[in-house]
Parts: sequence; C-alpha cells; structure tokens
Amino acid sequence: MLQRERIPLQLIFLQAALVVAWCFTDVETGPGAGVSTQPNGDRFKIEGRAIVPGIKTQDWVSTARVLVEGEEYVGFLRTDGSFAVNDVPSGSYVVEVVTPTYRFEPVRVDITTKGKMRARLVNYIKTSEVIRQPYPLQIRASGPHSYFMKRETWGWTDFLMNPMKDVYSTKKMMLVMMMVLPLLIIVLLPKVVNTNDPEMRKEMEQSMNMLNPNPELPDVSELMTKLFSGSKGSSKAGSSSKGTRPAAKRR
Amino acid sequence: MIADLFILRQQYVGKVRFSHFDTHVQSSKKVLVATERNVFAALNTRTGELFWRHVDKTGSEGNIDALLQHGQDAVLVVGNGRLLRSWEINVGGLNWEVVLDSGSFQSACLVGQQDMVKHVAVLKKTAISVHYLSNGHQKWIENLPETETVDYQAVYSDGNGEVYVLGVVPHSHIAIVVYSMEDGEIIKQMSVEAPWLYNIQASCVVVGQGMLTCVDSAGVSFYMLDLHLQLQMTQVPLQSLALEVDPGFHPVLLSHQPNPARQPLSEFFLQLGPDHYQLLQLNNGQIAAMRDFKPALLVSFATTGEKTVAAVMSPKNKTVSKCEIERSLPSRPVVNLFSAETGRRLLDTTLIVNMDPNGGKPEKLYVQAFLKKDDSVGYRAMVQTEDHTLTFIQQPGRVMWTREEALSDVVTMEMVDLPLTGTQAELEGEFGKKADGLMSMVMKRLSSQLILLQAWIGHLWKLFYDARKPRSQVKNDVTIENLSRDEFNLQKMMVMVTASGKLFGIDSKTGGILWRHYLHNVPPNAAFKLMVQRTTAHFPHPPQCTLLIKDKDTGLGTLHVFNPIFGKKSHVTPPALPQPILQSLMLPLMDQDYAKVLLLVDDQYKVSAFPSTKNVLQQLQEMAASIFFYLVDSSQGRLSGYRLRTDLSTEQIWEVIIPPEVQKIVSVKGKRPNEHVHSQGRVMGDRSVLYKYLNPNLLAVVTESTDLHQERSFIGILLIDGVTGRIIHEAIQRKARGPVHVVHSENWVVYEYWSTKSRRNEFSVIELYEGMELYNSTVFSSLDRPHAPQVLQQSYIFPSSISTMEATLTEKGITSRHLLIGLPSGGILSLPKMFLDPRRPEIVSEQSREENLIPYAPELLIRTEWFINYNQTVSRVRGIYTAPSGLESTCLVVAYGLDIYQTRVYPSKQFDVLKDDYDYMLISSVLFALFFATMISKRLAEVKLLNRAWR
Repeated sequence: MLQRERIPLQLIFLQAALVVAWCFTDVETGPGAGVSTQPNGDRFKIEGRAIVPGIKTQDWVSTARVLVEGEEYVGFLRTDGSFAVNDVPSGSYVVEVVTPTYRFEPVRVDITTKGKMRARLVNYIKTSEVIRQPYPLQIRASGPHSYFMKRETWGWTDFLMNPMKDVYSTKKMMLVMMMVLPLLIIVLLPKVVNTNDPEMRKEMEQSMNMLNPNPELPDVSELMTKLFSGSKGSSKAGSSSKGTRPAAKRR
Repeated sequence: MIADLFILRQQYVGKVRFSHFDTHVQSSKKVLVATERNVFAALNTRTGELFWRHVDKTGSEGNIDALLQHGQDAVLVVGNGRLLRSWEINVGGLNWEVVLDSGSFQSACLVGQQDMVKHVAVLKKTAISVHYLSNGHQKWIENLPETETVDYQAVYSDGNGEVYVLGVVPHSHIAIVVYSMEDGEIIKQMSVEAPWLYNIQASCVVVGQGMLTCVDSAGVSFYMLDLHLQLQMTQVPLQSLALEVDPGFHPVLLSHQPNPARQPLSEFFLQLGPDHYQLLQLNNGQIAAMRDFKPALLVSFATTGEKTVAAVMSPKNKTVSKCEIERSLPSRPVVNLFSAETGRRLLDTTLIVNMDPNGGKPEKLYVQAFLKKDDSVGYRAMVQTEDHTLTFIQQPGRVMWTREEALSDVVTMEMVDLPLTGTQAELEGEFGKKADGLMSMVMKRLSSQLILLQAWIGHLWKLFYDARKPRSQVKNDVTIENLSRDEFNLQKMMVMVTASGKLFGIDSKTGGILWRHYLHNVPPNAAFKLMVQRTTAHFPHPPQCTLLIKDKDTGLGTLHVFNPIFGKKSHVTPPALPQPILQSLMLPLMDQDYAKVLLLVDDQYKVSAFPSTKNVLQQLQEMAASIFFYLVDSSQGRLSGYRLRTDLSTEQIWEVIIPPEVQKIVSVKGKRPNEHVHSQGRVMGDRSVLYKYLNPNLLAVVTESTDLHQERSFIGILLIDGVTGRIIHEAIQRKARGPVHVVHSENWVVYEYWSTKSRRNEFSVIELYEGMELYNSTVFSSLDRPHAPQVLQQSYIFPSSISTMEATLTEKGITSRHLLIGLPSGGILSLPKMFLDPRRPEIVSEQSREENLIPYAPELLIRTEWFINYNQTVSRVRGIYTAPSGLESTCLVVAYGLDIYQTRVYPSKQFDVLKDDYDYMLISSVLFALFFATMISKRLAEVKLLNRAWR
C-alpha cells in the first residue's frame, strides 16, 4: 500500500514561518454549546433490554453503556440487562448499546412530540425507510467483537493458492521457485527426453515455454534439449524449437 | 491488525468529590469514588485499580451532586437533582434510576427507622421527596411551606420516624419543618430567631441527640437548638470554652453520623483556623472541649463496628523519636488516631505520609478503619492532595498505591526524543566542541573509544550475568537514570500538561511516570501551549520545553521553562509578560545554543522574542521580511495576517472578516510543521502525474452558522493562504451543523459534521492539486503562485459520531496515511485515507483500477478489526497525539481524555521490520538444501559425463 510514485522532491519552504497552531482562542467552548434543547418541551424515556445469549448479565453490565446519538444522552444497564434512558426530548435518535466485548446493532428510535415511540432499523442511506423493530427495544448481541484478523500464517499450500500476497511472501516464493524448478528440470527433464518419444518431448518443451513466456529471453527448453540430447539430437532440437516459437509469439 | 505488546492503557476517574469505603463487609476491598468529571467508580484498595467505572455525560447534566451509601447500594443524585440512581456496588450494575421533579437540588440523606434504612430523602428548593431504597419508587412528595421566603438547605433524620427539613431566612430566623416518615404529613413547623445565620450547610451540624449546633461566621458563639424540643437557641460564647478563632477565618464544624438510623455522635470537630482544630463533646446540653489540635492539617472521623475514631493529620509528630524528626522533612505529615469518646491518642497508630516534594498540599483525608484481631482499631488512609493525587497509605507509612488523577484531564502533550546514553553523548560531544590541536583531538578520540570499549564489555558481562538468572527476575525497570534512546527511537518521553497545572513525564514504553511537577498558582481556567524549544539532539545543551500558561479571562500569560527529560525547572529565566498575549509562534530560527526562537505577540501587536539574545535579534532583523503570522479573533470574526518589521513591530497586510452575526469561526487548522510529504504528485492510470498543491502556509478555517435551525444551519470551510490572505477555496455544507472535526495535512482537508437533513454524521474530503504541471518545483512561495489549484471534493456517510480525529505521521511520509478517529464508544478507529479520496470513481474503469482506487460507496464502514485499541476502550477521548518514530513504518499514537492510551500503528504494515515469527528455519533450510543440491548435482553431472566419455 505504499505510494507508488516516488518523485524525489525537495520542498524548500519559504521561510514564511507560519504559525503553528491556534491555541488561545477557545476551541473547546465553541461547538459543545451549540446543542439546542427546549427547556419547556416534554422529556421522554427510551426503554429496552440488551441480551447477550448464554452470558450472565452481571458479567458484562458493568462495562456497558447505552448511547443515544453519540454521547448526547447516556443510559446505564440494570443488573438484569434492561435499561432506560431518561430525559430525552422528542426527535429521532440512534440508540446503541456499547460494550468492549459484545457487538449490538444500533436501532433508530423516533419519539413524537406526544411521546409515541417507534423503533426501526438504522439505515443511513435511505433515512426514511421504516423496518419496524420491537419497542421497548430488544437488543440482542450478535456475538463478540472481532478485533483481530487471523494472522497470516504461511504454509506450503500458500504457494499454490495465494501467491504474491505481499512483498515478504513473494520473496519466499521466489526462493522456493529457485529451489524447486531447477530440481524439476534437472531430475525430470532428462528422463522425459530419454524416453525418445517425440510427441512427449514436444509437449514437454511447450510446457517449458509456458514457464518462460518472454520471447526475448533465451529459451530454456532449447538450452535444455541441446544440453541433454547431445550431438545426435541437434537437428531435431532445432526443428522442435521452430515448432515452439510460434506458440511463444502468439502470446 | 495484529495484537502487539506495545499497548498501554491507564484508566482514570478524575478529581474525587465524594468517597466512601465499602464497610458492609469487613474484608471488603472497595472504595467508592464520585468525581468532578462525572465518573462513579469502585477502586480496589489493595492495588488502586478499578473494579468498575461508570462514565456519565459531561457537563452539568451528568454532575454528581451527592453520594450516599448503604450496604450494597450506593445512591447518587445526578444532574442538579434531576436523576436519582442506585448502584449495586459488587457487580457495578444499576439497581434503578428515577427521574425527579425539576427543581434545584439542595441536600439528600438516608432515612432509617428502627435501625433499618429503607428510604432516601431528597430535598429540593421547593419540595421534599422520599423514595424507597429497594426500587426507587416515590413514597411521598410534599411541597415545602413558605418557599418564597425560606431557603431550605438541609435535611436530617436520626431514625425516629421523622424527617427534619431545615431552612433559613437569611439574617432572620431558622425554619424547621418536621415531616412524618409514614405519610409525609407535617408534624411540626416552627421558626427560631437566628439573625446571624445565612447558610445552614456552612455553619451548622446536628450533634448528639438531635442538637442542631451552629457557629456564627464571626466565630463568637455556638448556638444550639434541640430539634426535638425546639424551644430557643442557647448561645454559648466560644470564649467560655477558651476557644479563639483565627482572625478572618470562617469556623467550620464537622460531625459524624455513622448510621443513618441512629443519632450522630456527640463529639464533633470545630476548625478554628487553617491549621487549628478542636475536638468537642456535647454532654447533657453542655459543650466541653476535649482536645486541641494545633498544628493539624486535616481531620476525619471513621467508624468500624461500634468504635469511632478521629484521625488527625499534623505536619509533624512530637511523640516519635528524635532521629525520626530530624529525618523527616517539613513535607512529611503524620496521621494519628484518637478515640472519639475520650479524645485519647491510640497507641501505635502513627502513619507517616510521604508527600511528593513536587506535589501539592493535602486537601482531604479519608480513613478506612477496621478492627484487628485483638479488637484494637487499625486503619488505612487515603489522602487527596490539591494536585488531584490520591495516595493510599498503610501503617506505618507504606504507600500501597498512588493514582495521579490529574492525568484524567490532559490538556496538551508533546513527545520528546530520549537522550543518548552517556557514552554515546560523550562521542557526540567530541564533534560538537571546537578543535583545539591535533594531539588533544587524538587523545580525546582514544579516550572516548576506550570508554566505548569499557561500556561494551560491561554490557557483555551484564548479558552473561542476566542469562544465568531466571527470566522473571531480570528487571527492566526504567528509571530516570538509565533512560536512553533505543535503536529505532520508539521509546520517547511523553510530556503531559494537565488542567490542574501538574506536569508529567511519562515513559512511552512502560507507561511509568518518571517525573511530575506541580505548578502552583495556575489559574483554574488557564489555557496551555507546550513547545519544544530544543530537542535532545544538541548535546551538551539540555533539551528545553516551554509552557505558556495563559489566563483565559485576562489574557495574561506566564512562561515555565523546563527540561522535558528530568522535569526540572530550567535555570533560564523566562521573560515576564506584562501584556496580554495574543499569539505565540515557534520559528525555525535557532540561537547560538540551538534553542528555537519563540515569538510572543501582545495586544499592542508588539513582538517579543524568547530567548532574546543579540544573536537572535540580529537573525530576526535579517529574516523579518519573510516572517508572517496570523491572528484570529473569533468573537469579531476577524482573521488578520501580519508581517514582522525589523524593529519587531508588526504591520497588518491582510484581513478577512467573517460576519459574526451569520457565522462564527470555530477552528483554524494549519499543517503540522514536522510533517514530511514524500511524493509531490500522484501517478495516474495513464502514467501522467497529477501534482499536489503543497502549500505549507495553508489554513483551514471552519465556521458554523449562528442560526441553529435545522433547515437553515450550515457549516463553512475556507482555505486561506496564511501569508497573503488569499482565499484558495471555499465550501459551504448546507443543512449541517457542528461539532466539526478537522484534519489538515499534505494537500487534503478532512472534516466531519452532522447533517441535520439526513440525521447522520458525514465526512467530507477536499484535495488540492496543482494540475499536470508544477509551477515551480523547487521552492514553494505563497507570494508567487499564479494558478489556483484544482479542488476535488467528495463526501461519505459515517455511521457514528466522533469525539476527535487526527492523522498518522511518519518520519519521511512514505507510509500511507490513516485517520485515527476517537469514537464515543471508546474505540479508536484507524481508517485508511484511501477510503477518503475524492478521486474514488463511481464507475470502475481500467485506469482507476490501475491506480488502485476503491470504487465509491456512500457509507464508510466501521470495522472492529481497525480498532487500534481492541477491547481496551478509552473514555471521552479528547485528543490524539501522533509522533513519528525512527522506523518509517511506525507511528506512535497517544490518545488522551479520561484515560490515556498509548500504542504504535503501522499504516502500511511493518514493511521495514521482519515479523517476530519470521521463519528463519525455512529460509536457512532452503539455502542449505540448495547448496547441497548443487553439490550433489555437480557430482552427478560429473559421473554422467564420465559415463558418456566411456561410451
């Protein structure tokens, strides 16, 4: 994921020493005060229950919180897993149960000015879509959070299944190719050639060409056949290489 | 993401407001604390760690007004009497929560009957309500009589089925209303003359058998009133007890009610002066002096079983042996226990409090008393000091734990490279000094080489020595003496500035606090700015940090100059700042001692430099024409740019007015000065280069509309060149409101806002490009840039609100960038910048695939695998600090807020480090196999050739 372009560059900044940060104008006091609340409006209560299947509530409730629209309203879980967020004015809110260990899906709760409640699935893209959820909320944990990716273990199968995953495994693969290929060539090829079956040999040479697709590079099969078939097969080797060339050009 | 061992989390609670030891079980290890940062937590008294912690909303709505404890339940009044909560303290779950009627909170108490505590009474300005402890249901609520004139302030009950509400008509009389516990009927109501009284809670307590005891603020007399009889106040002059209040001191009374169903003790403390206490006893309506404590810093009552003791902290103790006194420093107070009934000192109860000389004075004393096997009273003490430190001490003075709660409110921080080791520094120093003759140079070189050799042998010996010991015994404690930089500069010193004015030096590897320094007389609403003037790179000059402390009201500032490695105040005397400071800036200029120059602009637009040596002033005069700075006045919506003149006065060169009636400036972000950009452009799919617009002087100005109506509110973002004042780009996001979080780096600005139309959080990214050609590729000058940059922008939906945002930073900027986003749920998300790229195509083409662009999707996903803190959630993240390390792949991250979390991130994975599970075996076996294979095949070939030759 490195940036691929590496244009050497020297940005000699104009010595216009520009100011580093803006420290003394009250950043903190600005935005927080912007939340408007109607002091006279009715306040309502969002109720529900969070369930982690198979886990006792006292094992996780002390780390859990109910967040309504970020941290605008906060509720806590009772020892039986139920919760109530008090003092919420009418509006539409995303209610979320957060714990470090379990994952809960958020729910959108709409409260009318009269205090009628409705729960629905959160859909940030189609915000007006309504898929009803039960109210009082029943939020069931969908399992533990997965914080870790499986470590990239490296086995022999990776050569075949998943080459060039990253720089590191590519290097490894090249090393192994270096080791395995010559062995194959050294051990297998002479035997194939020695069968003296011309069909077989042709096939073999073709497959060798596949491995070496670049036509500019010296043809391995050619070299090999020259080497192993010795003087008697020199003319044949020539003909066979003629046969393979078009195959290479086609690519 | 792969778990690593370099993560550190420290959880804090804040300055303690209320604290109770869990006493319902004899062997309990819990202490409950409710803090000024709206946190309610249980601490382990053995280790100081948290059992559980509940973080409420910030601000007044989560403010904890009262903490009452009974058995397994703790009752909290929250949000100025808005909510009443009961917690189960063993598991830390909520028992119940009820909403109380509106009205400002005055007081609360537990109410018992026949030795059983079943109710809690809450007194508001106009009403009193009584709730069941078991489920929070209201038993009864009654409006208080005559609320227009009477200011009701206290509620009291002693288990006889009556609730007393005490109110006062200032400087006239006390009003007492007695309610029946059963149905809330008023049993009695009367008023007693008390023209000297205006605040009951400050000057009255209930002592003994319902005797309301007050002391007037002038400190002349006691006034006593029997709540059961309520006849008249009896006046007892203090002089008749031979007591005298220090002039100008408001006397304070302290009583103790161990069980809410019983009457309070008849013994109580009277504080006569800042260090003068008197233990008194009420006996048959008569007050008798029992014991005088002077000097005494703090006093406290504690009860265990049937015994109640008084703990007194005094600056030093006369009864300990003489050599003890000689050794004890003036900052070593001593706690002693005294029997509350008799006032006698209990034997073997001395506890020495070792105070940190760099800390503050003790402020509160909490005592946990317990019965020993021989029925004598033992105790542990929790001392809170004015620098928000909690220290838990066991007899005879062993500190069991210390919590630096000041760290719950870190305002700003810096990371400073650690110094080289002594030997390395010696070597470096050789090059720094001026040459003085060939011979001495050679000798110096030889001696430093010898020192190196010696150090190496010492190191080898230590390795050998440690190898024989079991691994667990090998200690790797980092102390201030053996601090040194590691190979890749991964270990650094974190200098943290807290709102209380305490500075900390924390080792980033172990999280241990290496130094602390409490700055006295820091104004409570101070703003801080920390700057590193000299790094550790300039041996033998010590590193130097400067902290600018500014009072937000007056604008007056002070400078604190210190060594960031040892925390010691520097011998350099900072200049006094008589004028309010508007702006401070660090210049890249250095004086002859390699300290960077700090410029301070005062409200007369005069500039002063620190350090202000001749050398610096000369350099400044030379450079003045190219030094520009800007000022922001958010109240008037004014952004103005200034240029320095040679005589250190300033001249305004540009001004941008943003009408404050329509929109207000909420933040101005420049780029980080230590940021490196590696690539000047992006290679496109067709192999052409799109050059980035890398203006180091660019400012991102965020504005919010003053109209908060959801149809009309908007946020604006202005990109302004800080030197010329030229507006490079302007974007308005309609139907959006803050809080806006901005990150400005390289050629991009990312900001997050709340879309009022769709009720969701949205991210937007702006990227600036010069185009396919670069105007001047060697130097960037704001004054000579004729072409406006191309601006690309794209927006995304983000499925959560965020608390803070920062971008990763690496040594050379080769590594791809990630955004670190603090979420309210406590996670810190590491979002690749790749996802926030305005060139993400809607339709995938061959070229975009070539460029590795991700197709556009409206919603950004939060994947828990991207959380850099896993399940170690961090509450109320206020800021994220990123620093480069010596490794290009690695960025050091510190998140601070209520907690402190430190880790390393690898945005492009660890491409320059071998993994710790690197398969050395495989690689070497392959090599060996290859080697042998060549040997064998060579041999085989030889044999074959030979055979062929024979044929």
